[in-house]
Amino acid sequence: MSKSFDARAPGVSAGVDDAMIGRLVDEFYGRVRRDAFIGPVFAANVNDWEPHLSKMRDFWSSITLMSGRYKGKPIPIHSALPEINEAHFSRWLDLFREAAAKVCPPEAAALFIDRAERISESLQLGIAFHRDATRARADAQSAAADRLPAERVAR
Amino acid sequence: MTYVVTENCIKCKYTDCVEVCPVDCFYEGENMLVIHPDECIDCGVCVPECPANAIYSDADPQATETWLSINRRYSDLWPNIIDKKPSLPDADGHNGRTGKLAEFIPRPALETVSP
Repeated sequence: MSKSFDARAPGVSAGVDDAMIGRLVDEFYGRVRRDAFIGPVFAANVNDWEPHLSKMRDFWSSITLMSGRYKGKPIPIHSALPEINEAHFSRWLDLFREAAAKVCPPEAAALFIDRAERISESLQLGIAFHRDATRARADAQSAAADRLPAERVAR
Repeated sequence: MTYVVTENCIKCKYTDCVEVCPVDCFYEGENMLVIHPDECIDCGVCVPECPANAIYSDADPQATETWLSINRRYSDLWPNIIDKKPSLPDADGHNGRTGKLAEFIPRPALETVSP
């Protein structure tokens, strides 16, 4: 069940609404797709743009209007992309700040940018943790496989 | 950076937070919820939604080491909760009461039939 409006949502007093989120998402992903550094990463991983843009509108509606429209697991999804690192997140944030400053009034832009910065940092920490955990599992399996013949010899 | 659930969730467990969390990072114990620190994306949407004001940034003095460790430990042990459910009986009576840490139950949530 999702709600469409919550007076306590941070975006309400900043004037955020669905139309503004739509303009921001269009502006931002337009910049992303034209960007020589992160554009190719998106091109390689997003086959169909409209569902992705729709998901991102739901995401930003959930973040700023507490609408509950987006439900997802962004950390495992991004962890599975071996090519992305801090430099990609940094460029992502630069483009997001430019897009927000262009299409949102100052108070709303500040809100979007603050949340984008926090989410970006958490995603990076979460991805590092997720990749470490995945690697530790692989190492443990590999170590177990290495150990087996030796144990047989010892016996 | 992450958010943590603290003492005032105990014996209330309103679960309003679950409905707005975009990444489903809440885990359910018998009498409180916790946030998985490696899944939370630090968006803060759950904070104003909590009727018990039990959720704080890990940078807040209310997020003491006790609560950071309870959130980290039990989010690995308890089941993921992704839908809002009725609060615990007399949640409003327990909301804001002090000394609830002593009433913390480390067991996972009991299986319930979805409403």
